[in-house]
This record gives sequence, structure tokens and C-alpha cells, in this order.
Amino acid sequence: MKTTDIIRRAGRNLRQAKVRTLLTALAISVGAFTITLALAAGTGGKEYTDSLIKNNGDARSLSVYAKSTSSESTSGPQKYGKDTANTSPDLLSDSDIKKIKAIDGVADVTPMYNVSATYMVGPNGEKYDTSLSIKVDQTGVELAAGKLSNNQPLAGSVIIADDYVKPLGYTSAQEAIGKTITLRVDKANIPGVPTIGKNMTFQIAAVSKKSDTVLHYQDAVWLSPADGKTVYEYQTPANAANQYYGVTARVKDSADPATVQAAIKDKGYEVFSLQDVQQVLFTFVNVVMGGAAGFGALAILASIFGIINTQYISVLERTQQIGLMKALGARRRDIGRLFRYEAAWVGFLGGLIGTGLALLVGFVNPWIADQLNLEKGTNLLIFNPLYSVLLIAGLMVIAVLAGYFPSRKAAKLDPIEALRTE
Amino acid sequence: MIKVENVVKRYGKKKNIFTALDDVSVEIPTGEITAIIGKSGSGKSTLMHVMSGLDRATSGQVLIDDADINKMKAKDVDRFRAHQMSFVFQSFFVQGNETCYDNVSLPLETAEISASKRRAMIESALEAVELSDKKRTKAKDLSGGQKQRLAIARAIVNRPKILFADEPTGNLDTTTGQKVEKLLFGYARTTNANLIIVTHDPDLAAKCDRRIYIKDGKIEKVEGGKQ
Repeated sequence: MKTTDIIRRAGRNLRQAKVRTLLTALAISVGAFTITLALAAGTGGKEYTDSLIKNNGDARSLSVYAKSTSSESTSGPQKYGKDTANTSPDLLSDSDIKKIKAIDGVADVTPMYNVSATYMVGPNGEKYDTSLSIKVDQTGVELAAGKLSNNQPLAGSVIIADDYVKPLGYTSAQEAIGKTITLRVDKANIPGVPTIGKNMTFQIAAVSKKSDTVLHYQDAVWLSPADGKTVYEYQTPANAANQYYGVTARVKDSADPATVQAAIKDKGYEVFSLQDVQQVLFTFVNVVMGGAAGFGALAILASIFGIINTQYISVLERTQQIGLMKALGARRRDIGRLFRYEAAWVGFLGGLIGTGLALLVGFVNPWIADQLNLEKGTNLLIFNPLYSVLLIAGLMVIAVLAGYFPSRKAAKLDPIEALRTE
Repeated sequence: MIKVENVVKRYGKKKNIFTALDDVSVEIPTGEITAIIGKSGSGKSTLMHVMSGLDRATSGQVLIDDADINKMKAKDVDRFRAHQMSFVFQSFFVQGNETCYDNVSLPLETAEISASKRRAMIESALEAVELSDKKRTKAKDLSGGQKQRLAIARAIVNRPKILFADEPTGNLDTTTGQKVEKLLFGYARTTNANLIIVTHDPDLAAKCDRRIYIKDGKIEKVEGGKQ
């Protein structure tokens, strides 16, 4: 028999058993639905983490630390002695900075200075606590007002948090731009000696604001790297200077961050990049997606038995039809194909229903974003049409495989037995 | 020309062995209408099955125009049947959920005739059995006589050379039975096809050119014959 004729007959046979076909298809659709949603959530999750990463870091900025020697060598704490007196091996020095700077592809190395301000004060003269940071990397900043080049303030200017605008005495973020802020910086406290400090005044270049995609947003005043260095040198006692917990290496635009990261690692440093974080987050998203898809796969596995059962019943019910077809010259192969195509139709229908329902769930994207307090327009469910097509095709293949034994039973049926009337 | 030579058909194994056909030889010339007559269990249905290739003889030859279908591959027997043979059964075996048109279409599909050619063939077959107006009717909505006429349309649509009819009037009243008889005989006479009727109805058998009586798997006697 011709394939088109068999497909047509298969479709017609299914229409004649509408309820049974629909129920079997619905069983498959549960799995298809779950898998489609899992894939959509995976795609959406990856896209969301991608935007998170872009807003929280700068791929060309590598964090370099000294390799922790204590943890690698003998276990347990080291005995106190002359060698280990003052300089901890876990800190970086200026010579390390020079070494890193010499590596091919490194544009610039900035130590991670630790700075603090005792208070801040604006035109209204009120003093407020503030946290002080240095904007060393070029991570994107969501701005309420003002402008930045390379996402960093220039020397002599600062970025301030939106929440600081009013306490400082400005009516709006826009008004604060170009105005000043004064910070009180004190030298490190030495017991018994009165605290020495000075006031430093900066121009407000920009006002930053919170965003859903920025993790760990902290109200602060951000200094430029140059000003940061000045403050650090003023605050830190001379004997503690030239020791850094870590440094930030900027990668040249022409170089690949991954190669530079490997090169620095080769020199004996611990290097972390945003790509590492991205990898971790992606792994997490993949695990969640895989878990959900696994449940879907289980549902499909269960529905396979449904297909087999339905097809067996169908063969029993249609013994006479099969016998007649054989008597009229239909080959064993034709009968087998008829039942396999019926199974394929059921798989197709189940896949279609499942993915269709999943697509409908996509309409609640705005609600999900609302519930999770995400920014408007964030889609956590992103459907890839290719996945849906592959899924439906896959289900058809699975259904055909499930229909193998029933179809073989049908093909083997003895027409004489089937057409016996007694 | 159908030639059955020394056909033996046995069922079962060893102790339970049962000989359904015991060294049967018969010759049916082309265009002859033949009746196979016997009681139930006599082996008349088995003979039909063996002649049509639905069943395989344990030994012997079944020659149809010099081709031994008992030695053909299953695939080739199926093709042979699709193109050269057809059946009418006592219980009609029409597909109730399908339209008359689709019922008649089935043997053309198994013979792999293209859809465009099928239409005219199906329509003329339905016309021959006076069911043209029921083309789109589901077969389950037909009366018994109409169902058997539909079965005849299905049997003759592909112009078979050999038409087997297994108790074709067994489930019908006399009037409808006569109509069915007329259709079957009419087809065989106009196309010079072999009509082989399996029956235990002596009246029906009497109308045939040749009568083969079967008893206990053996040919008891043969009556008539054109030559």
C-alpha cells in the first residue's frame, strides 16, 4: 500500500476512536507540557542570568588574589616563627602588581584598596554615615541622573546612591549633578592617639539607583580609582601599605579574557572572572532545567505503556478489519505500518496538545515577573520553536517504538482465524 | 485456469494431527462458475483458502495460470491476491465506520492504484451494484442486502480474474439473495472471470457450471463442467 493511503487510513481509524485517542494523547501531553516548560524556563533563566551578569560585572575585569599557600601545603595552622612574622603570604605586593602588569593582554592593574569615610555632609550641613567604595571595574551602573564614561567617575568626582540625595539636602537626583559632597576621612585609629583626619570635597558626577538585575546593591559613595588610591594612602599606616588583599586586572580589548586569566594563573595567582560566576549560574540553571525535564521524561515513560495498551486493544478490536485487509492483498508490512502510523499520530497529537498548553502558560510571563518582583518585560519563560518541533518529532518516534509490539501482533494475525465467523 | 494437484493440508502435530484436505486434485477452466459443496467441517473452506493463497497447502500444487502460488513468497502471494483475486463473505465484513466509497477503495489501495484512477473505478463499481446514491453513507447504516452488494462492489472494483464467494447468500432472505446471486453471476459472465462459490445450498449450487462435492477432505464427486 502507498504511504499516503496508510497515513490517511490511520488518521481515519483514530477519528473513529476519538475518546481513546484523545485520552492516550493527553497522557503523552503531560510529559510534553512539562518538558516544554522546563526548556522554556531554562532558556529564560539563562537569558536572565546573562543580563544579571552584564549588570553586575565586567567580563574584561579579572580579580587576582595570592594563591593560598597554607591550604595547599601541610594541613593545620603553621607554627609562629620569624619567617611568618609580618608579611602574610596571602597578600599581594607592588612587585606582584608589576608581574601581573607585564603579562600579555593586561591593560591595567588596580589594587583593591580598602577605604572608609567617617561621615558625609552636603549643603545642608547634616552629617550622615556612609559607606565608601572605589569603582575599579567598568561594570554597568543603573543611573538615576548624570553621565559616566566607561561606567567610572573621573578623578575628583563621585557617584552617589539615590538614597543619599535627599539627606544631603538636594531635592532631586538631577539637581545634585555637578554639585558637591564632602567626605570626612580619618587615618587608621591607633589606640591612645587622637584621631587625625581631613575633609575632602568631590563633585557629584552621577546618581545610581537600584535595579532588579543588580545583585547586592549597596547605598554608597563611589570614588574614582585615582581618588581611591589617594584616600587609601592617607588612611593606611606606612607599615601596612603596599599589601593588598587582591588586585583587579583589566584585560585589553584586543585580548581574550580567558587566555589572560590562564596566563595570570600560570604565574601562580588565584584568578576569578565573571565567566566563572556565569558558569556556576548556568550550571545551576541547567540542573534545575534538567530536573524538571526529567519529570517530564518520566511522564512520557509512563505514557508509553498507555500507548502500548491502547494499541493492543485496538488490534483486538479490529481483528476482522485486519483479516479483511490481508485477504484483499494487504501485506504484513502494510498492516504493521498502519498501526505504527496510528501510534505516530497519537504521539503527534499528544506533543501538539502538550506544547500548545505550555505556550499558553507563556502568557502568564508578566504575572511571574510581577510575583518575583522582577523588572517589567522580563520573560522567565522563553519558548524556542525548534525545541517544540524536535520534541513533537521525538514523541512521534517514541510512540512508533511503543507501537512496535502491537503492530507486530497485528501484522502476524492469521487472516483465516480473523475472518472465522463462528 | 486453476489447477489443484494432489493437495494435502494437515493441521496440528503428531497425535493431534488432522487432515483437512486429503490428496485433492481439481481443474477449473477460465470463465467457469464453480460451486464447492460440502457440510461444515468437510474441508470446503480450507480448499478455498488454499486456492486463494490465504493458507498454504502442506503438499501439492496450486497452479493459477501456471504459477504455483503454494511456492510463492508471502509477499508475492499478497500481490497476486491484490491484483487477481477477491472475496465475498457470508458476514459481509464491510467496515461499518467507513463510507461506502472508502470501503470500495480498500482493494485499490492494496493494489497500489493511484488515487486519481481510483475515483472512476469506485464509482462504476458502486453503480454496478446500484449503490451510487449511498457513496457517502456509512456502511453501518445499510441494510443486510445493501451491505452484501457493497461487499460485491468492493470485490469487483479491481476487476479480479478469480472471485471467491463464501456462502454469499447465507445471511440474506430469498429475494435479496437472488439479487446478490445475479450480481455475482453477471460479473463472472461479462468479464469471463472464475467465480468460485463455497456453499451448502443445493439451489445455488445447481445454477453453477460445475459442482465439486467434498466430504471428509476428499472430493466425493464432480458434476457438470462446460466441456
